[in-house]
This record gives sequence, structure tokens and C-alpha cells, in this order.
Amino acid sequence: MLEVVLFYIASAVALLATILAMTRANAIHALIYLIISLLAVAVIFFLIGAPFAAALEIVIYAGAIMVLFVFVIMMLNLGERGDARERQWLQPKIWFGPAILSAVLLAEIVYLMGTVQGPATVGIVTPKAVGLALFGPYVVAVELAAMLLLAGLVGSYHLGRRALERRH
Amino acid sequence: MHTARKLAASSVEERLYREFGDTLFVSQSCADQIPTLWVDRENILAVLTFLKPHFCMLYDLFGIDERTRSCRDNQPTADYTVVYQLLSMRRNEDLRIKVGLSESDLNLPTCVAIWPNANWYEREAWDMFGVTFCGHPNLFRILLPPTWEGHALRKDHPARATEMGPFEMGPERVAREQEALRFKPEDWGMQPKEDDHEYMFLNLGPNHPSVHGVFRIALQLDGEVIIDSVPDIGYHHRGAEKMGERQTWHTYIPYTDRIDYLGGVMNNLAYIQSVELLAGVKVPDRAKVIRIMLAELFRVASHLVFYGTFVQDIGQMSPVFYMFADRERLFGIIEAITGGRMHPAWFRIGGVAQDLPNGWDKMIRVFIDSMPARLDHYDKMAMQNKILKERTVGIGIYTEQEALEWGITGPGLRATGNDWDVRKKRPYGGYDQFEFEVPTSNNGDCYDRAELRIEEIRQSLKIIRQCVDNMPAGAYKSDHSATTPPPKERTMQDIETLIHHFLNVSWGPVIPAGEASVMIEATKGINSYHLISDGSTSAYRTRIRTPSFPHLQQIPLISRGLLIPDLIAIIASIDFVMADVDR
Amino acid sequence: MVEWTPVLLALGILLGGVAGAAILTWWERRLLGFWQDRHGPNRIGPWGIGLVVADMIKLLLKDDWVPPFADRAVFIFAPTAIVVSMMMGFAVVPFAPDMQIVDLNIGLLFFLGMTSLAVYSVLLGGLASNNKYALLGGLRSASQMVSYEVFMGLSLMGVVMMSGSFSLVDIVAAQSDVWFCFSQVLGLLVFVVAGIAESHRLPFDLPEAEHELTAGFHTEYGGMKFAMFMLGEYLGLMLISCMIVTLFFGGWMGPDLLNEWLPPIIWFAIKIFFVINFFILLRAAIPRPRYDQLMSLGWKIMLPITLFNLVVTGGVLLWIEETV
Repeated sequence: MLEVVLFYIASAVALLATILAMTRANAIHALIYLIISLLAVAVIFFLIGAPFAAALEIVIYAGAIMVLFVFVIMMLNLGERGDARERQWLQPKIWFGPAILSAVLLAEIVYLMGTVQGPATVGIVTPKAVGLALFGPYVVAVELAAMLLLAGLVGSYHLGRRALERRH
Repeated sequence: MHTARKLAASSVEERLYREFGDTLFVSQSCADQIPTLWVDRENILAVLTFLKPHFCMLYDLFGIDERTRSCRDNQPTADYTVVYQLLSMRRNEDLRIKVGLSESDLNLPTCVAIWPNANWYEREAWDMFGVTFCGHPNLFRILLPPTWEGHALRKDHPARATEMGPFEMGPERVAREQEALRFKPEDWGMQPKEDDHEYMFLNLGPNHPSVHGVFRIALQLDGEVIIDSVPDIGYHHRGAEKMGERQTWHTYIPYTDRIDYLGGVMNNLAYIQSVELLAGVKVPDRAKVIRIMLAELFRVASHLVFYGTFVQDIGQMSPVFYMFADRERLFGIIEAITGGRMHPAWFRIGGVAQDLPNGWDKMIRVFIDSMPARLDHYDKMAMQNKILKERTVGIGIYTEQEALEWGITGPGLRATGNDWDVRKKRPYGGYDQFEFEVPTSNNGDCYDRAELRIEEIRQSLKIIRQCVDNMPAGAYKSDHSATTPPPKERTMQDIETLIHHFLNVSWGPVIPAGEASVMIEATKGINSYHLISDGSTSAYRTRIRTPSFPHLQQIPLISRGLLIPDLIAIIASIDFVMADVDR
Repeated sequence: MVEWTPVLLALGILLGGVAGAAILTWWERRLLGFWQDRHGPNRIGPWGIGLVVADMIKLLLKDDWVPPFADRAVFIFAPTAIVVSMMMGFAVVPFAPDMQIVDLNIGLLFFLGMTSLAVYSVLLGGLASNNKYALLGGLRSASQMVSYEVFMGLSLMGVVMMSGSFSLVDIVAAQSDVWFCFSQVLGLLVFVVAGIAESHRLPFDLPEAEHELTAGFHTEYGGMKFAMFMLGEYLGLMLISCMIVTLFFGGWMGPDLLNEWLPPIIWFAIKIFFVINFFILLRAAIPRPRYDQLMSLGWKIMLPITLFNLVVTGGVLLWIEETV
């Protein structure tokens, strides 16, 4: 029972935070709401028996990737001008169309979730199980992802160095 | 008025006459025997350009308001004079060039292209006297605030607040001062953006933990990389030179203590030697040795502060407390001898204020016996630290050539391999009687500047030991008539002595007309007081040449392309106090 | 042994954490004074301990000022983030057998997650202050803490391999024979360095760097909000010490022969005390490297060391498995 209550609280927080994240004009405020939304999702993961995924959500998404987002915002120094532009983008005529399309997709998902039968809970997924899955059946995907990341790393280093050389 | 002396004092002078003809120059004799030549404005640039290969350093540049001066004997007519003092280290020679200017046409060409350090000196002359240097890249106020009216060292500018009318800070004035504070990068010679790239401007100081007083640097940053920096001084300006014109020769001594406020009596020494030269006072041996001993004690004190703050600015927290504890013990000795601590104002014209107290030698011996071991300890703790080395080795390098061009003296110059120490090259006040070495090093980086000063502490301890071992007996004060305060023994016996004593104490001595400046190796570099006496009880012009002023001027040169922490290391390694810069 | 209910324990940690941080400020100043040849606080109460109270009163009574140019909401939010996340981190620490709020099977990851959230405090504080020094401090902290999080996490994987669990209770239990400080020397080394970098204390206090950035990210902070930052810093110090003890020094277990002499919680406290004093000693002794030097230390020395440690640990474990 307690789990259910916690689930709904966390879900409500996630939804609310995400909506707020979308509607904030100030980029930093939006990011903070996004981080809160991610934390709420982590709580949901934990509740449905995936503590490892929950921990990774916090460490990687909230703790590292979002930090870099904030970092970039700091570097850009948007200020009042950015806020004004953002506010302009939030006018109904701009978001109305995409919102309708998204709503259609949402309806489909809700409908599908209602029809598909499956176990309500899958039991607790331990870190060991995740590790075995990643380096067992999914090892090719893991290796491909690793290569992609390496390529991204080398590429960004190359671009960054070129920019630095140009300036000096 | 007569043309230049036929017997030229030096070969350079002779070549100068040969090049330009003797009629161009008027020679003036000064009490300090430095050849002084008057040149007219039209030829000054040519003469200075000719002199550049012979004199490596523009030692000083300053103005004089000649309008109310009465004893000018054979000098050419002038309302204002601009003085260039040049120094040749190779030949150990000075040369003074003077240019007379009339009040109606107060300008002359700039010599920034010849000696880069003329930049700030010319700005100062403009600030203080209103002399325009044509072609100067940024001729605006340097020591006084931008909203100041008038030129402070002119004789008709008030010296006291009471002469100026009440000070009012009405809304209009507030608005004006606020507007003057607005930072516009273009005014500082910096571009706010380049291509698509916007720079960040960071205002470091005047209140910042690491600028050692009220010093300001405007930084142009790309991330944390310093693209350019512009030092801004004047926040500590107290008009010390102006005060010299209203204080008597004697009562000005305490003001000198507060120029390099870590140097204590070292400042007295620079001032008093010039006065004594003008008055022709011979100082007894005991007084000489006492002076050297105290001056070296203050050099140790000043270098200890440098050592502690240098290491602290690198981010090491503890050593500064050890150095300050040592300095505290040293102040105990100074207090026992002089009664004062940081600013004893203890030297007098013709000697020192009192004889040494009983037991002084024991106190000093305890101190100098304990110091070498402690210095070894600090060396292990701080200077051998790997992080400290990585932060300072190879940072803030300038070459010997650059140092000379920018007027750098003292440890900052000796860190580039040049061994010019006034105590050795021109032993003043009895330094020829002492045995010590002049440490040098070759890299000219922050680490070397620090290491050199630590070695100087050891050398100073050596000198102090020699003072303690060989303190001569005799008078601590000269019996010359200009000696202040004059001897009192016979004042109650005859009326003539009483009258003289009364006048000498109340007015102070009258110093014969003339000009003199004596260089000393102060704690931070070469310090000298160019004193002009008009034959009265106070100086007509007091020019204080301090070492820190040019040292700060070259910060931009060595900080470009480095990071903010490197700039902090550079500032820490220069060892300046703002009172020594702004006076 | 009394059965500790988690709620009581949480309350205890909350109060104990705040009180401990307050006493630590005093203890640190006393120790620094001792090492630096000076007195340190010695006026109020015995050995100056009353300073803790005086400091609290001062901080509480200070004007709670928000600069008019700051981003008000974020400015107020920032200092709370570090206190909350550090406090949360204590939830998984086993102070003694049965004395733990919750024994998560991902305890170690939870700890890493909480410390990684603490970055926001510094980052947002620096950004919301709308001050260039604070901004530079925030930028430094972002790259410093994100980088060192990587080594911090990786340095612990050797411990995880050897104990076969992320649960801190299991990790302590796995050390009943040999403490991991012997078998995981490299891991310990990297973790200690990363721990200082994460709690940004003196050798690595680049986000503050008094001599460069005046006070870095908290330049504009005063009063209670500043106190929250300080509280967070000291909580971080304690949390890192707890983790060092738990992961590498056998947690609440005493050395084999002496284990029975003292109750486990006392053993834990003694170990924590030594680790904290070690951190204070580091602060007193070592100068601050430059920002780029710190980063290259991380990526060029720490990262290879941890990777080497991982490979060797894994190899040795496999070899033992094969042979046994």
C-alpha cells in the first residue's frame, strides 16, 4: 500500500516538474525542474524493483549530464535577452500544433498499455543481473555504444582543439 | 648662465658634446655629483635616443615646479622642469637630463618609445604638474582620481584640506563620481569582443585578498586565460611628496617610514642620506653601523612578510604563521631598541635618535642564531614542495633586458642574473666595511624571485652578525650644526647655544640650497629621495623614487596568456606594498 | 543491544551531523592553531569550545540578505541542496552492526549518487549569485567535481569486485580477514584524493580559492545561507571519512585482537576521528595546485591508476577463482 502511495506521489512530482520544466522562460529554472523530474523517475524505478537503474539515473543523468547542461548555460551567459526570447516561444500559437500531435501519441500509448497483458511486477533486478545481461546477450550493443562514445570523444576533442588553435 | 663645462665628467658626456655641440647643453652642479645637463625641448628626443645605448635604465622621471624657487643660481629659466635620471649599470654611472618648460607652452614629446617604463612616469608628471607629453598613448591621471581638478604638486595647489573650502558630496557630484567609475573596456585599451567571441572582464581589486593592499587590475579573460591586463594604481596615494614641501627636514622623517611600510627605518636611511649630503654632515661610525644593523633587520622583516604571503598566495596555509612569528620576535628587538615596531622613525639627520639600550646585543644574537635553522625548516616545508614548484617555476618570466627596460631593480632584477646591488656597487653609509654576497639566479621566474629573497635573508643575518661583533664605540650622533635634535648639554649654560638650540628644535635645521639624491638598496629595490633645497627649513621639492612603481607597470607584459592563479603567483612574487607605489 | 529503529537513527544523524559539523569547525581551528604555532580559539568556555555556540548565534542573527542582482529562487535553493544530499548520503552508512538506516543492495551507488547531486549546490550558487568570481568558482567546481566523480566511482569498483556486492554491510563483512586498505592500496589512494576534490577542501578548494576568486561560489553569501554551505562542507568531510573507514578500514570492526575491547560504534568513531584529522592535516600542509594541474592530475594520473587497479584486481580474482 505504501509503495502505491509513494508511486503516485513520485509520478505526480515527475509530471508536474516536467511541465514546469517546459514552461519556464529562465533556462536554469527549467533545468532544475528537469533534474527534479529525473529524481522522481529514479524513485519510480526504485519502487518498481529496479534499484540499479534508479542509482544510475541519479549518478549519470542527474549527477553528470545535467551538470554539463548547467555548465553550458553558465558559459552562454543568456541573461534577460534569453528569457525574453524563451517567453516568445511559449506563446500558444507556437506550441499548440506539436502539443496536439503529442497528445495523439500519448493517447495511443495509454490505449496500448491498457490492452497489453503482462506481469505487474518483475521482481527486483539486481546489479549482477544487469551486468550479466549487458555483457551476455547484449554485448554487441554495448561494444557498439562504446565505440560510438569513443568516436564522439575524439571528435569533440578535435573540434575543441581546432577552435583553440584558431583563437591563439 | 654658462655653457657646459669644458671638462666633461664622463666619456658619455664628452660624446654627447661631440654629437650635439656644447652650446646645446647647460650644466648644473648638484650636491650628489651626478652630471646634470639642461637640454631644450626641441632636442630632448634626439639626446635621449642617443643616450639609450649608453644608459640601460630610465631610473626616474619627474617634474619640478620652478616658479617660486629663489636659489636657482645658474640654471636656465623655466616655469616647470622635467627631469630624466638615467642609470648605466655597466659603467656604474648616472646622468640627469633636465628640460625647462614655460607655463604657457607646457608640453614636450614623449619618450615611451625609447624607455617603455616612461609611460607611467610621464602620466604621473602630467597628473601632478599638468605637463603634456605629446604622443603619449594614454595620458590620463594615474595617482589622483579621474575627477580631480588641478595638478596637485603645483605650488599653487593647496596642500591642506583647510585651504580648499568645505568638501561637499551633493547629488551632482555623486553622479559625476559614479559615472567616472563606470568600466568601459575601450578606455582601458581593451576590445570587448573579437570575431564572434566575447571576452569577460574581471575587476581584480582594489579590494581583493591577494593584491597586497589597494591595487586594481582590470583583466580581459577568455575563460580563465588572461588576454590582457591593465594595472590601475593610486588608491593608496597620500601625497607624500606634497607633504615634504610643508614639513621641516626633520619632521618629514616619520612620513618616510610609511612609504615602504614594511621597510621601516630603511626609508629613513634613503631620505636622511640625501639630507646629509646636502648639508655636508659626516656621520660617526657607531651611528653608521647602528643604521646598517637596523636597516638589515628590517630587510629581514620585510622579506619574511614576503616569504609568508608568497607561500600563502600559492595556497599553502600554514607557513605564513611561522614567518610572522619570527617577524614578531624581530619586532620585539626593534621595539627594545627604538620604542617603535613597524614605523620607528628612528634615524635622525646626523645619526640616530638614541644610543643602543643595554643588552641589545644579546637579544639580536639569540635571534640571528636561531634563524638559519628555521629558514632551513621553512625551505623544506614550502620551497621544496612539489606543488609550489609547479605553480611558480617557469611562471612570470622576464629577461634581464626586459627588466632593465622596465626599470626593475632589487631582487626582481637579480633573479634574471644581473648582480646589481647598490650596497656592493656604490657602498653607501659604510656597507664597504661588511662582508656579504649578492645572490643571483638566472631564470627570472616567480620561484627564483622568491628563492633569491630567502638567500638575501641569510646574507642580511650575516651582515647583522658583523654589526653585533664589531659595533664601534663613540657618538651615536654627529656634532654638525644641522644635526637634529641638536646636542643639549650646554644649552643651560650660555644664551647663544640656547638660542640656536631653540631655533633648531622649533624650526629645524636650515639645509643649504642644492639638489641631491642617494640611491639605497631598499627591501624591494632601489629607493632614493631626490631632494631640492631652496635654503630653507623644508624641502622645495621631495621626489620619492620607489622600486615598486615600475615593478607593477610591467605586470601585463608577463601575465599575458597565463591563468588567474598564475597572475596571483606573479603578484605575490613581485613583493610590493601599495604605499611604496602610490606614495 | 537495543534495537535501533531507523527513524530514531535518522533523527540522531540529523542532530549529530549538525552538531558534529559545528564541533568540527572548532576542532579544526584548534588543530590548525596547534600546527601553526598559534593559539586558535581559546576564549569562550574551556579550550574555546564555546566558540561553536557563539558562531551559531552570530550566523543565525545575521541579516538574511539576497543580493538584488541575484536569481532569488535559485540563490536560496542552492545552499540547501548540499546539506540535503550530504545528509541523505549518511542513510547507507553502517555505523555498527544493526546501526544503519537502510541497507540498500546498491548502497555504494546511492552514496555516489548523493555526492554527485551535491555539485548542484556549488554550481547553482555560483550561477545565481550573478557575480563573476562566483561564476568562475562555479565553472571550476563543475568540471572538477564531475571529473573526480568518475575516479571516485571507478576507484571503488575494486572494493566491489572483492566483496562481490554494492551493499556496505556486505563490504564491511568482507573485510573481516583483511581490511581493503591493504589489498586496495591504489583504490584507497585515488578515493582519498577524489574525496578531497569532491568536498572541495583546501588543497583542492579551487571553487573557493580565496587567493584567486576571493570566495568563489559563495562570494555573495552570508548569514545562514553561508552557514549551510559550511555545514554541507563539513558534512561532506564526515561522509567521506565514514566511507573511507567503511570501505577500506573495516568499518566498525576493530583490529582482530582488540576487537572485543570496545563496542563497534566506538571503533568506528575512533577511525573516523583519525581520518578527519588526516584531512585537516592535509589542509594545513599542502598548497593549492592550479586548476589545469588538478585536472591533468585527475585524467593523466588518477584515471590510469584506477584502470590499472581494476584490471589487476579483476585478474587476481579470476586467477584465485580458477586455482581454488
